Amino acid sequence: MPRRLCSGNRMVAEGALAAGCRFFAGYPITPASEIYEVMMRELPRHGGMALSAPDEISSLCYCVGASLRGLKAMTATSGPGWALMIETLQYALMTETPVVIAVVQRLGPSTGGATQGAQGDVWLTEFATSGGYTIPVFCPSTAAECHDLTVHAFNWSERLRTPVVLLSDKEVGMTTEVVDDAVLATPPAVERADFAGGRPFLTYGFAQPEEVPAFAAVGGEVKVTVTGSAHDQQGRLRKNAPEVIEVLRHLERKIEVHAEEMELARTDLDPGASHLVVSYGITARAARQAVAALRREGVRVSFFQAQTLFPIPRRALDWALAGVENVLVAEENLTGQYRAVLARCLEGKRVVGINRIGGLIAPGEIVQAVRAAEA
Amino acid sequence: MAENQYLAPDAKLPYCRGCGHAAVVRHLSRALERLQLPPRSIALTTDIGCVGLADSLFPYLHTVHTTHGRSTAFATGMALAEVVLEPGGLKPVVMIGDGGAMIGLLHLVHAAQLNVDITVLLHNNFLFGMTGGQHSALTPLDFATATTPGGNWTPPLDLVALLRAAHAGFLARHLATDAALDATIAEAIAYPGFALVEILELCTAYGTRWNQLTGSKLKEIIARQGYQVGRLEAEAGRPTLRELYRRAPPSRPARAAAPEAEKPMTASPLTAELRLVVAGSAGERVQSAAALFCRAALAAGLYTTQKNDNPVTQGTGFSLAEICLSPRPIEYTGMENPDVVIVASGDGWKELQANGTFARCRPETLLLIDAELEAPPAQGRLLRLELRRAASPSRAALAGLAAWLVLSPFLPDAAWQAALATLSADRRAEPSEALRMGRELRADRTGTNP
Ligand SMILES: Cc1ncc(C[n+]2csc(CCOP(=O)(O)OP(=O)(O)O)c2C)c(N)n1
Ligand code: SF4
Repeated sequence: MPRRLCSGNRMVAEGALAAGCRFFAGYPITPASEIYEVMMRELPRHGGMALSAPDEISSLCYCVGASLRGLKAMTATSGPGWALMIETLQYALMTETPVVIAVVQRLGPSTGGATQGAQGDVWLTEFATSGGYTIPVFCPSTAAECHDLTVHAFNWSERLRTPVVLLSDKEVGMTTEVVDDAVLATPPAVERADFAGGRPFLTYGFAQPEEVPAFAAVGGEVKVTVTGSAHDQQGRLRKNAPEVIEVLRHLERKIEVHAEEMELARTDLDPGASHLVVSYGITARAARQAVAALRREGVRVSFFQAQTLFPIPRRALDWALAGVENVLVAEENLTGQYRAVLARCLEGKRVVGINRIGGLIAPGEIVQAVRAAEA
Repeated sequence: MAENQYLAPDAKLPYCRGCGHAAVVRHLSRALERLQLPPRSIALTTDIGCVGLADSLFPYLHTVHTTHGRSTAFATGMALAEVVLEPGGLKPVVMIGDGGAMIGLLHLVHAAQLNVDITVLLHNNFLFGMTGGQHSALTPLDFATATTPGGNWTPPLDLVALLRAAHAGFLARHLATDAALDATIAEAIAYPGFALVEILELCTAYGTRWNQLTGSKLKEIIARQGYQVGRLEAEAGRPTLRELYRRAPPSRPARAAAPEAEKPMTASPLTAELRLVVAGSAGERVQSAAALFCRAALAAGLYTTQKNDNPVTQGTGFSLAEICLSPRPIEYTGMENPDVVIVASGDGWKELQANGTFARCRPETLLLIDAELEAPPAQGRLLRLELRRAASPSRAALAGLAAWLVLSPFLPDAAWQAALATLSADRRAEPSEALRMGRELRADRTGTNP
């Protein structure tokens, strides 16, 4: 099996192709541009269409339009572009339209540091909807994970008919590293469930709130009624109808019931550990190295890398937390965004944040923090 | 085909009495009747506003009710997908107001440039109806609105002229009351590319409240703006999007494929992780030297990471690459304490000073510095080499790497050969020369830096 040199961004694009992506619209922004460039080059060869959009709002609207027509679609951007996409993201959520957005983080706020990494968009990606709906977010730490998590992102997006974010960052995206194709753990591609007939079609039909409505493409045989306004199962704009509220609950419920199934985490547990280092994305790499160094010194420490950031991988986390006193959450942002989100899962533990902006968190900083917690 | 295939005969129109939108839905229905298009071949894509209430009136068409100003972009996405899905037959018809056209202007421009097969019905009632009669970019001069109570003082945007400049293939303008409107809408839908029909109409709730308006007054306003009506000049003969996309030059094969090593061709004697920084100036092949080095390392069975940095404008200032090299998979990609620092130019020197690399050097760090540069404020063993003068500025980085490998032979020659073989034949001579020169460079002073 070949080993090759690849950037994380390139592996996101390859993952999209492996997942069956057939439409891509993009707009240049460091550090995500390489995904756009690779898709422009490769997608036409795979029977799809890749296109330059005139802004990020258009990028995502084009993707949603193509997905409504039945194509698997993706776009890629960074914080500033993501900010422009949020209205359309909510539309995709409300209209139950599958679409994947790769957000390659850079230093913010505003234009921030275009060529500097960060993990500062955890809140901005997850808490981007009116109503506070769960946006599934997957977060790779290596080029290989970029590939596999992109396929997972597509699969969940198609399966649940909902927008999904692949949250990468400049360091994972633009660093070139050796990828061993033999160790990729790529899941098979999942297709959205098409309406099979046999009953009247409802664009947003479900018998139980957790069910995902069967999909029919705009342009197909059955009439499709798409709307971003509060609607009933048929897609009719209604106000003050209990069914509308039921549909809104269903949007969250269909994700909630799959939360456990969506859990992806890399754990390395020591049953006698009193410390658990929690991390994700680029910082998980420093954390793994720190944990190995600590163990060489005889420190009992466990490690948890969230690959699914949202829904929170609660079951895997609870397992990792058993018997642990101190939880150290390492992430490259100022305020401990994921730590704050995890707080409700960490009751009764001593929680320590390891944070930094403007540069990678080094393994030494994590080692020191664990040692300080020992004392 | 019966009319009820399109506009429901019992449809209760949701507009105020006399609203121009009501006339447009009837014209649209008649246009569809004229064309005899199967209802499922239309995607009625409605914007936000009173104009967006139309979708529920057409029970047999696909309908997509969208967000404010974005209807054109969603319709464009559907039409783009048509190009991939053969044989595509879906025709999106966009219903948008002047407010939506203003906030979503770019989508109209791009759709015209792409010549996507969509039809836009621009309902220009000179103001935002649904939100209470506020001014838009298409409000005529002197026209009173909720937000221009003394009359509009900014000249209106002529959207038809704007879209002509964007190469639209079909453009027309009518009053909502024109009998010819349904024929024009039918032509627009039949046109195999981007078509826009601007429909001038009155909002009876707000347009007539603050302005003395009658049918003839409307004509007067139009005349004052110099607007023509009917089918207007456009680039009718443009190739369709499908033709344009097919004609686009095929993408060139990706640049020289990254090397793929089935198994290491030559084992490296490296047993522990090493961290190298190579710094120089933009345009002097610093990062490509590092990339070639990583390819050679890959061929020798090693793991590498390469993390580049440069100022936001890529063509000037410093350029640097941080490389980790290891016999095992690499985790942390940063440079806590570099083992080797190669400095090929003054720009690189300054950046390593600024980003703290020099400060993180240890006594064991090897500092391989161009002979013309000052000794850096760093711990470590200093080695000065004539990188720029003997090897040339654009070969300096690769020569520096080669010179280091003479001292620490972690990469066998066969690995370099394998890396060079991944370059196209005409691009091998330069790096080969840089490597040769680097190996021959002699340190002119060694010593321990203070
Ligand atoms: C992003 C956003 N901004 C503002 C609004 C509020 N809004 C609803 S309708 C409308 C104006 C619609 O005016 P126009 O497009 O001219 O259509 P009309 O109501 O006149 O038919 C606005 C601004 C919105 N829905 N979304
Ligand atoms: S407010 Fe104006 S645009 Fe809206 S329905 Fe009434 S007349 Fe028509």
